Amino acid sequence: MRNRSRHGWRRVVNGINLAVLVVCLFIALPLYWMVASAFKTPANVGASPPQYFPHPLSVQNFTVAFSQNTFGHYIINSVIVAVVATALVLVLGTLAGYALGRLPMRGKFTVLVVLLMISVFPAIAVVVPLYALLRDIGWLNSYQALIIPYTAFYLPFAIWILRNYFLAIPREMEESARIDGASPLRTIWSVILPQAWPGLFTAGIFTFTACWTEFLMALSFNVSNDYRTIPVGVALFGSQFTVPYGTLFAASVVAVVPIAILVLIFRRSVVSGLTAGAVKG
Amino acid sequence: MSTPSVAPAPGGGVDVSGPAAPPPARRYDVFRRQQARLGWGLSAPALILIAAVTIFPIGYAIAMSVSNVSATGSGFTLSGLTGSNYSIMFHAAQWRYALFFTVFYTVVTVAVEVVIGTLVALVLERLTAGRGWMMALLLIPWSMITVINAELWAYIYNPTYGVIDDIFSRIGLGSPVILGTRVPAIAALMVADIWKTTPFVAIIVLAGLVMIPRDYYEAAEVDGASGWTAFWRITFPLLRPTIALAVLFRVLQAFGLFDLPFVLTSGGPGYSTQPLAILAYNAMFRDLDFGPGAAVATSTALLVVVGCLIFLRVFRAQAGTEV
Amino acid sequence: MGVTAVLTAAACSSSPSSSASGTASAPAASGSATSGNITWWASPITTTSPDPRTVLISAFEKVYPNIQVHLQSAPTDTDTNRASLITTISGGASSPDVYMGDVIWPAQFGHSGLATPLSSYFPSSYWSSFAPGLVQGATYKGQVYGAPFFEDQGFLYYRKDLLAKEHMAVPATWQQLETDAATLVHKGLVKYGYVWQGGSYEGLTCNFMEYLGSAGGTALNANDTKATLDSAAGTQAANFMHSLITSGATPSAVTTFQEAQSMSAFATGQAAFLRNWDYGWSYSQTASSPSSVVGKVGVTPLPSFSGQPSPGTSNIGGWNLYINPHSKNTAADVTFIKWMTSPAAQTILGTQFSEIPTVQSVRNSAAVKAQNPVLAIVGQTRLIPRPAQTPQYAKVSQAIYTNINSMLSGSTSPSGALSAASSQIDSALSSSGL
Repeated sequence: MRNRSRHGWRRVVNGINLAVLVVCLFIALPLYWMVASAFKTPANVGASPPQYFPHPLSVQNFTVAFSQNTFGHYIINSVIVAVVATALVLVLGTLAGYALGRLPMRGKFTVLVVLLMISVFPAIAVVVPLYALLRDIGWLNSYQALIIPYTAFYLPFAIWILRNYFLAIPREMEESARIDGASPLRTIWSVILPQAWPGLFTAGIFTFTACWTEFLMALSFNVSNDYRTIPVGVALFGSQFTVPYGTLFAASVVAVVPIAILVLIFRRSVVSGLTAGAVKG
Repeated sequence: MSTPSVAPAPGGGVDVSGPAAPPPARRYDVFRRQQARLGWGLSAPALILIAAVTIFPIGYAIAMSVSNVSATGSGFTLSGLTGSNYSIMFHAAQWRYALFFTVFYTVVTVAVEVVIGTLVALVLERLTAGRGWMMALLLIPWSMITVINAELWAYIYNPTYGVIDDIFSRIGLGSPVILGTRVPAIAALMVADIWKTTPFVAIIVLAGLVMIPRDYYEAAEVDGASGWTAFWRITFPLLRPTIALAVLFRVLQAFGLFDLPFVLTSGGPGYSTQPLAILAYNAMFRDLDFGPGAAVATSTALLVVVGCLIFLRVFRAQAGTEV
Repeated sequence: MGVTAVLTAAACSSSPSSSASGTASAPAASGSATSGNITWWASPITTTSPDPRTVLISAFEKVYPNIQVHLQSAPTDTDTNRASLITTISGGASSPDVYMGDVIWPAQFGHSGLATPLSSYFPSSYWSSFAPGLVQGATYKGQVYGAPFFEDQGFLYYRKDLLAKEHMAVPATWQQLETDAATLVHKGLVKYGYVWQGGSYEGLTCNFMEYLGSAGGTALNANDTKATLDSAAGTQAANFMHSLITSGATPSAVTTFQEAQSMSAFATGQAAFLRNWDYGWSYSQTASSPSSVVGKVGVTPLPSFSGQPSPGTSNIGGWNLYINPHSKNTAADVTFIKWMTSPAAQTILGTQFSEIPTVQSVRNSAAVKAQNPVLAIVGQTRLIPRPAQTPQYAKVSQAIYTNINSMLSGSTSPSGALSAASSQIDSALSSSGL
């Protein structure tokens, strides 16, 4: 463990700690508000003045979300699309990020900038031609209708992130692996990846979240109820003149659970990445 | 790199079967070429996939922006090459305001998020116990579906049963009309965005923080450097590439701002919270003006690209464009 | 309307050329198909069970057992709904076959070939069975694009108990309503006097048209080429809306109110008067909405301005049924639409779900009228449509609601708002600005 006695640091850190406590409150309070409102009875969600604590506690919002609005079905679709797209992004992105970071390719900066330009283009302008393209291939209303575009649109960011973290790894380790006769893939697997866990985690979480919350393409390509994802499913809650906040919040409480689980699982990997970083020279 | 000394025979493969090894320079060239080929091979899957999916739609959108587009039931008819879409755009007061608003919004939200996010990352790095739980808590706003996030804040800002209205009334400040007045609506939008996106910056910065080797700090301590000095002299310079990356991508995202104002304010009141992406969306999907809408989208992308190129030029070394 | 059919059999063609006018088609698909598979795209109509869409589909399939109807639930937000349809149809999809769309879409969709003209598929007796004004609202350049499915109208809801307490009669003029509302607020009997939809969105155009119509004005000229709302009638309407806020009859928060907020304010007992669509009755009389005013609400047609015909004009809202030009089952689509607008289906809508039927005979039937007080007085209202006859309606409406909202929040004067709206409408109608 680290054994430091840094009075200066500690004082500064305590001041920062206080500020961050404020920040944590800022983050936690609206979350509390959402969770609490999810457990109010549907009638009390719109009560004025608002109920600060749900009384009586009720799970009616949850039952409405799952039964009337078949929310469970949308969760499954979202999970499938997000997991597969994230896996694809991480695999392809690691290979490309390593290549574009470490290997002497001519014109790689151009490639990187073009990738940037692609990820920057507003999705709305792209949706209609992409729709026509998918229709011609016959891929509308399917999982691949979302997985492939998501992978393509989120790869550039992942490549940039991964490349950035790969660059920070000392060259000597790779070179010693190469001298030992390791193939490039093996080098990536046993030398680069263990060092770059934080970068992989960042890229993975970003991609998963982006797929999880993407709305416009999901709305346009997967119109059939069998393949709808959560954001589109949520857009069906209520009717023309009512916004069912209770049902929405109940759905959201359930939808954040996979993310929280993912983070808690990967937390150990990030921690091991940190201690590995502490040991290396 | 180095100049070949003798070697009369140009190019071609390297004959390693001969008794004498080729001069080191050429061997290195060959090696580099091999490495380059390997590089293209490794990145090919990603690049091919990206190109296949995005080239046609983006090209089509650019084509729409320079043609007369008429939308029909069977698709679009693009006729002629014209600058009229761009001309319409430049003359539209709505576009000028949307541009100003988008830039202003980007600058403010990214600045605030970077400051707060870096602070949070600094403390997260210090935490030994509970880091995982803290990160999970932080990531929940980021992972919330934007539509729901916007509805949550609409619920909070609601003038009839919203929390803020209630708090203000209890304090005696009356009933603020938040989403109906221009400046409060902009501020409300920013608060909702900052709430959701700061964790993103914090995570990126944290990942960069933990890759700074410990012994730098220990060496500084030996030399007697105190907290703030250590931060400014060691941490911040080494963090700069990571922060630059976070800023870069946050700016990209902020420029494409769409979901939040779409649900929270619909760009209102009036056009006060209408960023470029919503302007393009309204032009295309509400007014069926696909030509001008595509022009707005394309010009937005162009602006961001130019901005990013300038940014990268300034931070060339930090952004890691080493050979 | 001209029944000179200029419809190509778009449903049969698979070439990507745009469907142009040309050959007259034999209206073979005049409701004679008895088999097929169609997809119906419709957003949720109510939030309570049972779902009217599924009830209607089951009833339809009983009558036509060989036609299968597959329901596709559409987004509840009408703009998101429209964007999705535009993407789908202009991308050439043949599904959905029939879609339920807003009453303000016919001009825009007809102009861009996103809906099939229906005039040739139905005899003129069919069109005259609808209540007046509805078919006209669905017509663009002589062709009808949507079959009126169910209608919304604006009504005035009031708190019987509060009026009784203050010995006030139900206001018959806007001025009287303003006075009554302000009085109730100043006496502290209620937090808000009169609430309506003043947010910067389409609903404000509906509200404004009602005041404008009551004052005897119009928004566009007969050819839809010029704005006419900067007139004496327009000024009266705008001044009145502005005075509602300055007199305290209406809270300044109304500039953020859409239907949901104004309905909630009234149903939780915080407002004395409400202007809202017909759903306001069932909402306020269902305790779980939430509503604390069950049994205390009365409903009446909107008031008018003194010196103008009474009652005031009520804006037409609601939904039509359209056919996708790429549909491969036009015959079955027509059968479906014909049944959905038949007295059988309309009676279900009226009696079981309290929606206003579009078919005149059903609307006047005793069974429907007995359903609730709103349906009973539907026949007494005077209707005014929004100026949606032009494909540029979206921009016209935006010009109206942004400027009126700006006036309501105090940033512009009524005359300034009207002249700004007028000039923006004129430029939208003449050229294609952004």
